[in-house]
Amino acid sequence: MINEENQKRRSFLKNFAIIGALFVAVGLFFRDLWLYLYPPRKKKKFHKYLVAKTDSVPLGKAKEIKLGKDPVFVVHLPDGYRVFSGICTHLGCIVRWEEEKQRFFCPCHKGVYDKTGKVISGPPPRPLDQFKVEEEKNLVYIYIEQKTGGPWS
Amino acid sequence: MSNVKQWLKERFPIDYDKFVEINERIFIKEPIPEHMKKWWYCMGATPLILFSLQALTGIFLAFYFVPSPEMAYESVRHIVEDVRFGFWIRGLHRWGANLMILSLFLHITRVFFTRAYQKPRELNWVIGVVLFGLALTFSFTGYSLTYNQLSYWAATVGTNLIKSVPLIGESLLYFLRGGQEVTANTLTRFYMLHVWFLPLFLVFFLFLHIVVLRLHGVSEPEGFPKGKYFPFYPHHFYKIIIATLFLLAVMSSLTIILPPGIGLPADPTTTPFHIKPEWYFYPTYRFLQLVPLKVGIYVTGAFLLAFTFWPFIEPLLSKKNEVRRKISYGVGALTLIITLGLTIWESLV
Repeated sequence: MINEENQKRRSFLKNFAIIGALFVAVGLFFRDLWLYLYPPRKKKKFHKYLVAKTDSVPLGKAKEIKLGKDPVFVVHLPDGYRVFSGICTHLGCIVRWEEEKQRFFCPCHKGVYDKTGKVISGPPPRPLDQFKVEEEKNLVYIYIEQKTGGPWS
Repeated sequence: MSNVKQWLKERFPIDYDKFVEINERIFIKEPIPEHMKKWWYCMGATPLILFSLQALTGIFLAFYFVPSPEMAYESVRHIVEDVRFGFWIRGLHRWGANLMILSLFLHITRVFFTRAYQKPRELNWVIGVVLFGLALTFSFTGYSLTYNQLSYWAATVGTNLIKSVPLIGESLLYFLRGGQEVTANTLTRFYMLHVWFLPLFLVFFLFLHIVVLRLHGVSEPEGFPKGKYFPFYPHHFYKIIIATLFLLAVMSSLTIILPPGIGLPADPTTTPFHIKPEWYFYPTYRFLQLVPLKVGIYVTGAFLLAFTFWPFIEPLLSKKNEVRRKISYGVGALTLIITLGLTIWESLV
């Protein structure tokens, strides 16, 4: 009687171990498969980029520079420096800074942004894109996304 | 539960009991002759297992591989170096291909020396030879896809041989390469062959191979008690599972101990000094170096014909079974010795 009981327990433990191991193995296999098929999400990396000396952009003025082919505006406002992308958020034309009206104007469809990048009138769906700005001593830096080359990134 | 069953039954109106019965008869209770309890005699399933694994790992590789001259090498590098577990998948695929050829050599040798190709199974030998040819083509096209120096030049030299085919050689070569030289066209052609046409043909002939095998039943070699059988399930079924796990373990270990490299990117302007095909082409390669090209190709062709139709040739040689067996063993042994000899020779020079 006791022997039979032992036998039962033993076979239960054995089956439990075998089936457990099988589950673990199959589970690990699918985990690895998922990792293989699902490319890791990369955290965006940024690096600092010098855009202006503070004294080159007096209060209320803007300076246009190029980031590669893309225009960027460094604007000096009372609360500090702001840097906007010069690409209209509507259809990608290039905006221009109108100093006397203190606004950005897009000639393609008459989109108007104020000096803080907010849309005043016209079709643009959202404000101008802004860069994160850092002032260090008398230099203005922005953070731009690091685009590593290669076809896989 | 029964509702679901009912629902399915109405949508798939098949005779379920009949289905179970057929399944039992064809798979579960397939009579396996007693001698197959020995490992040595049940290795015909190895190529099948390996082929399934090749198909699986191949599908996974196709997620990342890009068949263009600019991207092929880079995408293989990406798989091996960047993609998580990519080195493992590629290692399995590469080692699987090598083991596949090896297991086919063993399978063919076993079938030949047990003379399982005799009447009425001659056609299954021929189908088997076709399958072997497909496997070699698979390896050749797959090897060329990595687009490194060796694979590029192997593709160039290998396809050049086709030029020696009488009459249509030139046009065939042009068609296969998609131009005069090995170019982007060649790569996409090889890719199409490798992932689409060859699998299609292989599955078809594999199916035929197994159907013919099942129709005649597994042949029983001489020297074993005849007429004793055991059912496919569970004994043989578990044997195949064990073989699968064993092969996976072997391939994974090989991948880690001897990871297949990716070589140097293909450079069509420089032929490397040491250029050799994969080991399974060594015998042919060495032989072709020994004799003039024309002679080499005709002799190889004649050998292939004799090899393919041996089950039909053997009965013509003598009426006595004993004599036929001696001739077959002699021819088989000679072929084996020459093949091994040429392979060893080539690997030493």
